Parts: sequence; structure tokens; C-alpha cells
Amino acid sequence: MPERFAVAEEELTALAGNESRLYEPFLGVLPVDGLSISTFGDFLQAETISASNAQAFRLDELQFDLGEGPCWDALESGVPVLEPNIRERPNRVWPAFSEAIIADDLGALFAFPLSLGPLRIGAIDLYTSRPSQLSDLNIRRTSDLATIVSRLVLSRAIRLSQSDSEGEADTRKQFSHREVHQATGMVLSQLGISALDARLVIQGHAFAVGRSMQEISEEIIDRRLSFAVKENRIEGSHD
Amino acid sequence: MIDETREDRLIDTFATLADTLVAGYDVVDLLQTLVESCASLFDIAAAGILLADEDGELEVVASTSEASRLVEVMQLSAQAGPCVECFSTGSVVSLPDVEDSPPAWQRFRDSAREQGFAAVHAIPLRLRETTIGTLNLLSNIPGALRTQDVRAAQALADVATIGILQERTVRESNSVREQLTLALNSRVVIEQAKGVLAHTRGVSMEEAFALIRNHARSNRVMLSEVAQGLVDQTLVI
Repeated sequence: MPERFAVAEEELTALAGNESRLYEPFLGVLPVDGLSISTFGDFLQAETISASNAQAFRLDELQFDLGEGPCWDALESGVPVLEPNIRERPNRVWPAFSEAIIADDLGALFAFPLSLGPLRIGAIDLYTSRPSQLSDLNIRRTSDLATIVSRLVLSRAIRLSQSDSEGEADTRKQFSHREVHQATGMVLSQLGISALDARLVIQGHAFAVGRSMQEISEEIIDRRLSFAVKENRIEGSHD
Repeated sequence: MIDETREDRLIDTFATLADTLVAGYDVVDLLQTLVESCASLFDIAAAGILLADEDGELEVVASTSEASRLVEVMQLSAQAGPCVECFSTGSVVSLPDVEDSPPAWQRFRDSAREQGFAAVHAIPLRLRETTIGTLNLLSNIPGALRTQDVRAAQALADVATIGILQERTVRESNSVREQLTLALNSRVVIEQAKGVLAHTRGVSMEEAFALIRNHARSNRVMLSEVAQGLVDQTLVI
């Protein structure tokens, strides 16, 4: 079982640059009929990045249009929202969304948040046509896969926001700007994440507020900006 | 008498560097020892080493002070100033008085003046026909370096070059370019490790570097190992 997830992790990582196919590895390891991956929230525009079929796409669209639903709650709370029987025995009711899915061929709906450190990026929605449970192991593994997806989706957003020349300049300058490396060290320590993720958090935050990585790094070093873990939120998204 | 003492110190320095090269070492640590030796051997206020990255841009890889101001002066000199001049010509460039800087070096001059540096000497790190970086000596008082100082500094710069290029040849056969990238990469990890300590210990970047260096020395491990451990969060100091 765990090996299959390890394969899925590798497959996901290999899909960098082909984000519309990110749904594929999930179908091989989880007992679901479809899923979608979308960005929305604090700073990314609401957009379905990858959907395995029309039903999955529709579930995303509905939640975007109505501004409510499991994916919103998952991102808000930082923990998965599990609805093993969403139409007949829902754990919670959304005034408009619950109404909108009455006629859908829908049993269970599971929404996993996409986030990296303090950055709220989007969600993964998985569904089955008939009511079903997701085992604890599957929940943990899906959360791990969601971390990889978060990285890829955030990188994609940053990539698309930059012109090609800017992107090159950014890699070329990787040895410059000691401050960015120093700030990366502070953030990785604040959040207990890898250096690569910490750099991505700084990059994502810079992108979110429309400033340069250098400026954000200086704020972090001067201790005017901190990503230190706030209780509940980041704690809750793991395990 | 003073010259004798200095000669002794020079011999000591070379002996230490030779020992290091023979025993196996960490390149950033070696370069750090080297810039500190320069600062004590010559009548200067600060020293630093710049290495060229893949695109030929010079980056500070070791300096006597981690203060961002010193790094900035050298970085500016690497854009338009004595350091880049030395790098592109492969010859020693002496600027006995920064006030004599040509107009193109204005940003460097302003920064040097602000930091109280009056003279800068840049010595090339040469490998046959290529120059891989520069050793920079910064002084608080104007004036030229004595001929024997220039020779000694060039010899130290040559040791630095050997150190950088030999570091991994025992184990792997890498191109000069790759060796340089490795040296610059270990600097990146050291900067990240400084950030880790700045957060966990609430210290300045300069204090963080001192903590890393002291830990490496007292435990007889390489600087870059300590830095990597901190970044991987497998080491707490």
C-alpha cells in the first residue's frame, strides 16, 4: 500500500509543467470516481487546474459560483472535510451548495486543503458516486500528496505570472542576494519545512503582495514579517 | 624586528594552509581562514574573496566580516570597480585612494567612502590563463601596498585557487566550472544556516556565523557540514 503512494508521489512530481494531468496519480491509489484540483483563496484566482471528468469539474464550478462548499471549508480550516454521504446524511449543510447537488449522482465528497506554510492555495475535491468512507491511512496519504500538489500549483502560478526573461533572471541570480538565502533559513526554521519549500513560501508571499523576493526577505530578516506557526492552522493540516 | 615577526606569521599561515590542503577540508572554511590571515598579515581593515558564477558574475564567498555593508562594497566593486577590473584583466588592481576612482565607479566609491574604506587592492585568483575570482584587501588609510605585500597576497590568492580547485578532485573529476559552483553552493547553505540560527537563537546574522564557525571548530567538523545539519534541522546549536 505505502509503495503505491510512493509511486504516486513520484508521478506527481514528474508532472511539473503538466499540471492539468495532476489528477491522474490519485485515481491509481484512491477508491474514488473522480477528482479536481483547484486554486482559490487569499491570492490566487479561482481556477480549476486539473479535473478527471465533467462531474469533478462541475463540483468545482458550483463551489466557486456559490462561494461555499467543502473546498472552501477545507481551505478555511486547514483540515480535510469528509462527507461520506453528502446527500443523505451530510455532516454539515451548505444552504446553496447542498441544494445545488440534490440531483447529482453523488455519494461521498472529500475536500483536502492545499497550502504551504501560511499560504492558502486551493483544494483537492474527490468524490464517489455512492456513499463511501476514506480510511485513516488514505486520508494521511492524500494529505501528503496534497503537499506535493500545493508546491506544484504554487510554482505554476508564479511561473505564469512571470515573463520568461524574468524567470531566467531569477534562476541566474540564485547566488546573489544573501538576504534571500538568510530569509529562507529563517522561514524554514519558523515553519519546520525544507529550504526549497521555504524559498517557495517567500516567493509565493512576494507574488501575493506584489513585491520582490528581496524586499520580502529584508522584512523577514528585520523581523518585521514572520511566518512562525500559528496554533491550529498549520498544525491541523498535517497528520 | 617587526618584519621578522610578520615573516614568522606568513610562514605560519602557509604552513596552516598547506596542512589544511593535505588533511582534507571545507572550501568555505579554507577561504575564511585565508581572508582572516590576510587581515592580520597586512595593514588592512577587511578582506574578502569573490568568485565568478556560471555567468561570470562575481559573488562574495568569504569575508572578514559578515556585515552586509562590507559585502555590499565588494559586490559594488564587482559590478564597476577594482574587483571587476582585476577579474577581467587578470592583473592586480590597486586603488591607493578611492577618491581617485573614475566616474564609472561612482557607486562603489560612495559606498566605500561611507564605510570608511580609503584604499582597495584586488588580487586575481588565477588558473593558467583564466581568472576565477579575486582576493580583495580593503584599507582604512590611503596608500599603496608594498611590493612584498603584493607578492605575499598573490601567493595567498594562489593557495585559495588551489584550494578551490583541488577540493573534490580527489574524489571526483569535476570541471573548473563545477568546482566553482560547488563552492558558491556551500555559501548558499551557510547563508540559510545563518537564517536558521537568527530565528532559533534570536541573534544577528554576524553572530549566527560566529556560532556556526565556533561549533565547527570545537567539534572538529566542517563548516559546511554544520550548515547543512542546521538547514536539514538535524542539528541544533
